[in-house]
Amino acid sequence: MDGRHLSRAGSRRRELSRRDVLRLGAAGAGTLAAAWATAGCTPTGAGRPGPLQFWQQYAPAPQQDPNLVAQSDWFLDATRRWAAAGERPVDMVYIPAYTDPTNTRLTTAFASGDGPDIFLISPGDFLRYYNGGVLTDLTPYLTQEAIDDFYPDALATRTVDGKIYGLPMEQEPLAIFYDVPAFEEAGLAEGDLPTTWEEMLELGRRLTGGQRTGLVLDTTPSYYQNFTFYPWVWQGGGDVVDPRTQRPTFDSDAGVQALTLFGEAVATGAAARTLPAGGDLVGAFTNGYAAMWQTGVWQVEAMRQNAPDHPYGIFRLPAPAGGESITALGGWAWVVNSRGRDPESAARFAVEVMGSMSRESVDAAVRWNGVAKGNVPARRSVTEAIGNSGAFENPVLQQFRDEILPTGRGEPRYPPVIYKAVSNAIQNAMLGGADPRVQAQTAQAAIESYLETYEGGTLV
Amino acid sequence: MSTVVARTAGRARAGETPGAAHTTARAAQERRQRRAAFWFLLPDSLGLFVFVAVPMVLAVVLGFFRMDGFGSFQFIGLGNYVRMAGDPQFWSSVRITLLYLVGVVPAIFVVGLGLALLVQQRIPFVGAIRSALFVPYVVSLVVVAMVWEFMLSERTGVVSRLLSAFGIDDVAFLGEPSLALGTVVVITVWFQMGYYMVIFLAGLQDIPGEYYEAARIDGAGAWQRFRAITLPLLRPTSFFVVVTATVGVITGGLDLVFVLTGGGPAGSTTLLIFYVYEQAFLFGELGYAAAIGSVLVLVMLAWSALMFAVTRGGRFDND
Repeated sequence: MDGRHLSRAGSRRRELSRRDVLRLGAAGAGTLAAAWATAGCTPTGAGRPGPLQFWQQYAPAPQQDPNLVAQSDWFLDATRRWAAAGERPVDMVYIPAYTDPTNTRLTTAFASGDGPDIFLISPGDFLRYYNGGVLTDLTPYLTQEAIDDFYPDALATRTVDGKIYGLPMEQEPLAIFYDVPAFEEAGLAEGDLPTTWEEMLELGRRLTGGQRTGLVLDTTPSYYQNFTFYPWVWQGGGDVVDPRTQRPTFDSDAGVQALTLFGEAVATGAAARTLPAGGDLVGAFTNGYAAMWQTGVWQVEAMRQNAPDHPYGIFRLPAPAGGESITALGGWAWVVNSRGRDPESAARFAVEVMGSMSRESVDAAVRWNGVAKGNVPARRSVTEAIGNSGAFENPVLQQFRDEILPTGRGEPRYPPVIYKAVSNAIQNAMLGGADPRVQAQTAQAAIESYLETYEGGTLV
Repeated sequence: MSTVVARTAGRARAGETPGAAHTTARAAQERRQRRAAFWFLLPDSLGLFVFVAVPMVLAVVLGFFRMDGFGSFQFIGLGNYVRMAGDPQFWSSVRITLLYLVGVVPAIFVVGLGLALLVQQRIPFVGAIRSALFVPYVVSLVVVAMVWEFMLSERTGVVSRLLSAFGIDDVAFLGEPSLALGTVVVITVWFQMGYYMVIFLAGLQDIPGEYYEAARIDGAGAWQRFRAITLPLLRPTSFFVVVTATVGVITGGLDLVFVLTGGGPAGSTTLLIFYVYEQAFLFGELGYAAAIGSVLVLVMLAWSALMFAVTRGGRFDND
């Protein structure tokens, strides 16, 4: 055998035989099938040992800020009391950037069948989870007295067909925050606060100059931007989807009018195209980068923590001619994963802490809304208890509770397709200079087409 | 070598000719080498198989299903692909991705090569200059995006302040649909230029200095030397840069767009990869996202195959 033959023999040895190919193919197919089965099956957590997991953005606090520690302690106390009562323990799992709607942690956990037992959810996300069949009906665990104790607007967006799937821990109304030094520099006083859209735009233009933006409306395409936009539609008597008929009404005059408002605000220079100070209200106010900003009650706490001495105020969202001031109410709710380890225990825990008429439950909510978080309660008994205790010393919080909250309507729970249609309309009208009516009609057509085949929870 | 042959021959079985013993020894050595190669390659191959090949195949398979993100599957055949064909937002993101590609790849090529030519010179502190140019590439893209966001901030950013000194006020680089994509292109090029500079520098240092010397003696000017020597001999490097930059641009950019614009304003920076992310993780449309991802991979494979075919694997006519 010469070298040439050896080389051929060697190359023959290196070639794969048909049997090899079949063997490799079978191994590969087996691996794929196993991977597919693992990825594709929908395991429930039922029967899995260990404590229940509660995913949220508060505890255990990763920072030493006293206020954040107080919020963290509130959650940890609740789990301690629950475990001390001999119930299945609950582990608090802090998820960084949990409130960022683009955070993928929860989505991927559920997609892989490993979602938490209890988690916090915002109204914008509610239907996706409800329609996915992963939310537990909490109604059987609630007394009628406790159900009646919740404000209807707070509970409505967490209820489907009379069944309650989420317990709101707060209500977060939107208002317009204004920077007092900016107003004083411009020679303006409280009496000059705008009550109509025209006045708001005029003031925005007047206060814009140098490094300062007069009016800040949210500009980044997101669920949050839609949340801030809805009240402007409602104020004109319109809606994206009529809650009664479940038909889209976004191309009504009210919808077009709201899109026009956002477009004009930017086009006339009253509002900026991007958010000042990277979207940080405290930084913008303290550095003189913004004069008015449409945002929510959570900023009261942010101001208290980071700029306690900086003077600022709030006013209700101005109304269009012939319209009335309405705001949107956000806020987080506790929900229970129906495919979790022990949905029954988890539901009882959620109801005991957030939805019971027991003294402990009401006191806990008072500590949350009145002390640890400092926002507007979702339950009447808590509002009354706070009112009596005087925990709402901050006049801005009092204004939110007494003046802004009564004008509120719960943040709608629209599925992603509707969110996206509205978001495109806002972006194109506000920043793309597009015709608001055409944008409203385009969104309307997309929503109509989607609703023709939509099956799921009612759109409110 | 002869010592090895002699030893091997010494161990040959009785009755075998020295030639046969030699070939047996070579065969045994080859077997040993193959075995060693197998064990060295096994960990990497397993990793690639489990973490790349399997997810890739699964993603293609997922493209034929409707999924709600909560474990529910429904086979819909080509439904996702039909939906894609009629989805104006998909086509809009394809158009934006192509614009991004056309903006970034040639710019990266020119800037990377230009910087490589510059730092190839014997100039003072050239090491420090090379490092400074490479530094952006080692910084997290999210940090890069945040720094640029503040620098470009309307009214308050350092760029806006500089421009206002020249009478140009209120430029919203990230808030104006006509400017946002161009701004993202510039930031991408700034971020990646150091990496491609290093690649080009390696290519330039492979070109023998004698060629330039001979060209100088023949009276060739700088431009002629660049055209006749540098560019042709950089072809394999250029091939690498174009292929990797194209793939990088099509599959990258998510972090940058995510932080800088969120796909806005008015959808002007919604790259295809951002659209895939949005569908998968915001809307739970995992099947549709997988279908778009599969098309994306297919396009990149076709592009790479075309580039390999046209350039004969990047060797051009120099083999």
